[in-house]
Order: sequence, then C-alpha cells, then structure tokens
Amino acid sequence: MSGELAYLGLAEAGELIRAMKLSPVEYATALLARIERHDGKYNAFIALTPERAMSAARAAESEIAAGRWRGPFHGMPYALKDIIDVEGLQTTAHSKILIGNIARRHAVVTERLEAAGGVLLGKLATHEFAIGGPSFDLPWPPARNPWNRDHFCGGSSSGSGAGLAAGFFPAALGTDTGGSIRNPASMCGITGMKPTYGRVSRRGVAPLAFSLDHIGPMTRTVRDNALMLQVVAGHDPGDPGSADEPVPEYGAMLDQGVRGLRIGVIRHFYTSDVAGDPEQVTALDAAVNLLAEAGAETSEIVLPALQDFSACGQIILAAEAYAVHEQWLKERPQDYGARARERLLAGAALRAVDYVQAVRWRRELRDQVAAAFANIDLAITASSMDPACRIDDDATLAANYWRQARMPFNVTGQPGLVIPAGFSRGGLPLSLQLVGHPFGEALLYRAAQFYEDATGWTKRHPPELSD
Amino acid sequence: MTKELRDKARALGLDRLTDKHLAQFERAVTSMERHLQRLPRGMPAAREPAHVYRAKGDVR
Repeated sequence: MSGELAYLGLAEAGELIRAMKLSPVEYATALLARIERHDGKYNAFIALTPERAMSAARAAESEIAAGRWRGPFHGMPYALKDIIDVEGLQTTAHSKILIGNIARRHAVVTERLEAAGGVLLGKLATHEFAIGGPSFDLPWPPARNPWNRDHFCGGSSSGSGAGLAAGFFPAALGTDTGGSIRNPASMCGITGMKPTYGRVSRRGVAPLAFSLDHIGPMTRTVRDNALMLQVVAGHDPGDPGSADEPVPEYGAMLDQGVRGLRIGVIRHFYTSDVAGDPEQVTALDAAVNLLAEAGAETSEIVLPALQDFSACGQIILAAEAYAVHEQWLKERPQDYGARARERLLAGAALRAVDYVQAVRWRRELRDQVAAAFANIDLAITASSMDPACRIDDDATLAANYWRQARMPFNVTGQPGLVIPAGFSRGGLPLSLQLVGHPFGEALLYRAAQFYEDATGWTKRHPPELSD
Repeated sequence: MTKELRDKARALGLDRLTDKHLAQFERAVTSMERHLQRLPRGMPAAREPAHVYRAKGDVR
C-alpha cells in the first residue's frame, strides 16, 4: 500500500468515500494488510477483528452507493483501546485478570461510532487497567514507539498512539485519568484530546478512577480529531458524570486563525516546577512566539504548583482505583503485572480522611485555576517534559509519571489537547498542550489548527514505515 | 520482609501478597506518603468536597 493511503486523514478519506473515489472495502483491506505486515514490530493491537471489519466495510459501501451516506465517519476504519466494550468481543484491559470477559453490549462510545458507520479494525494495547505499563509480564507485549521501537510510546492508551503513528488507522479512542491520551500523543507525535469531564460518556468503559476518567479521540491531525469528537460527544443519561451541555460544531472555527485570542502561558509548569528537557522547552517557547506573531495576545499566567495537582490527583486516583480493584488484589494479586500491582496497592492503606481532604482540595485548586483563566480564552503549556525514553529504562519510565503537566486538567476537568511541536535531535516527537475553559474544545481546535498549518509537523511520519 | 509490614497487609485483607508483592506494597505506600505530605491541613471547616451528594439524584 502506498504511504499516502496509510496516512490518509479521516477528513480527507471521508470526502473520498463520500464521492465514491475510495472504497471502504479497499481501504479496510489495505490497512489490515499493513497491520499484518508491520504490527509484529509495534504490538499496537491485542486483537484484530478482520471479519467484522470487512462486513462493516461492505455494508458501508452498499449504503453509500445507494445514496445513504451517514456522515464523515461512514466507512472509516478505527480502533479502540481494550478497556472499551464491544458487544461479543473480549475486553481484557491488557490483563490476565479479565481474560474471557466478553462484553454483553457496546459501550456508548462504541454505539456512537458504529451508528456513524465506523469500521472497527480491532482492540488496542493499553497499560494494564490503564495504569500499569509498559509491562513485559502480561499476556500481551507492550506497544512500541513507531518513531523508534526501542523507545516508550507513552500510555496508557499505548496502542492508540502507536497505531496512529504507524499508519494503521486514521482514528482511535483513548482514555485519560492522569494523562493517558495526552502522553501517547506526545510520545508518538499525534493529536490527542482529553475533553471536558462529562463531555463523552464513560458507560461501558472499564473505570480506573471515577471522578478523573475521560474518554477522547486520538488522530493524526486536528481536523480529524474535531470530526471524531463530534461523533462521540454528547449527553448520556446512563452515565452519572455525563454533562447535559449542548454539543457545538467542533470544526466551525478551524480556519479562523489565532488573531485576537488571549492565550495564557503556564510556563512555570515546565521551567521551575519541573525543569523540562531543553529541546522541549525551546519548542514550547517557539510555539508561543509563533502564536504571538500571528496576532494572539500571549501573557504568562500562574497556577498552583504542578506538584500540588499531582498530589491531589494521585491521592484521588489511588483511592478510587483501589475501590475498583480491592477484591482482585486480595484474591488474585499474582495475576496482575508488577507495575499495575504496585501502583494499585498505593490505595490500600489510604485513610478515608485523606481521600476526603484531597477531594476538598480539588475544589480549591479548580477555583484557583478558574480565577487564573478569567481573562484568557485558552492556555498553552507542556504535556510531557521529555521526549520518549527507552522502553527498558526503568528509572526514566518511573519519572514519566511526574515529569508531565497533564494531571492538573484531570483534577479540574478542563479540556486538554496535545499536538506535535517538532522533533528532538534524536528524531523523537516533541509536543505542546492547549488547555481550555470547560466545554471550550472548539477554541482549542481553532488554535491548534492554526499551529498545525503553520508548522506542518503532522506531515512527517516514522521513517521505518515509509512503505 | 518485616513482620510489621506483613501484619499491616493482613489487616487490610491482603494476606495473599508474597514477599515480592509486599516489597511493592511498601514502595507504593512510601510513594503515596510524599503526596499526602502536600495535603493542606488548614482548609476552612465549611469547604465542601468537589463532588457533593444530592438527594434527588445526579445533576446533569
């Protein structure tokens, strides 16, 4: 298959499919062949579903030929992190614990993607239960970074990030409790949106920490991301955290540029709270300058220290995750991988009062951030402090959990969009994060589209996969 | 592995943890201690948690 077809974007492919210049059957066939040829090196998939995919692709092709085009996702190949239920398929969470766990119904997000005419290619690798990884002691190997397979591809939505960078599919869903969409987006040079808490239904997705869990789209480009969020966003009365807020047209402002936007720069996160890698800091400074030169009003804003968000978020995460895993940890501790077991045990000895104090602190932090955002439209900051480390570098991998600026926006519930921001001298992706007001995703897409068009970073693909 | 640590795990119902698991438990608790030290202790008494129970059900 030509590289052009492998890296075709959702928006472009959707237009070609609508015009019947691209057959959904041929598209799915080509991507499945590419996965078959290359995924042995990257382990993005836990399970492929080729028969299901071909059946959906044939149905899409017939419907479109009959004049019943459903929208830009019709006939579109996609894949799901394997903590998201698909009726009749196993949801493993990449864990021995859940082998044989067949989903009885679709998750709400799966229902929405299927109703839009999506073509599911398979279930993707994740860190075990979206918390422990990368791990070599699980039933499936960890996903690897297509920019350099000796390096970490981020996580926990690891297969989603790796598969997009490898050109295996144009769209995937990830989940994000402390950064798990935005971390692989940073490491793999793709685009990942953690939407506002409650924007996308969590029903049918294995929980990690109820009050911090988010589901969001992962794509290669900003425009594709907006299209996918349009499909999955919306109120779900069956999800107690779901927000009954109107869903705007996410692509409506994509071509409006950044002139006049007030953009706060949260620089202390990556310069003084944590010292970011110099190449990453330089990339962020260059991005701020680019936005300012294009007419955005940039100014530094100050939030509470990154370590405060991290502490608050980790206490809440540990307590809520232990509530989910307590019984399994008591009865089957040996069936977890070492990384997940250690991280989940952090909640075992927490006192009730510590959890409640953290949840009270969360409200204070949210209020302080809201005050800092009062006079800006959006903010820019780091996602990861470093490019991807080696997958076998245990010390640096451990630091990956705190050398990041993602947890603040799980704590506040604001949307965070990560996009590529260049490459390190070693050829690994760098990234930036845009942060919005609650339900302000459309404005993030607008600023990100400007930056993407101005820099062209998303046009580069891993050299190992140029065929 | 110390008896104290094993007793602590047992009191939590984690009596199937092996010595290797107990070492992980110890590291996890130590790591969490660092976060707990940052918890503010002087919040106003009336400061509510971020999510609040509502008798009529969830607010959407």
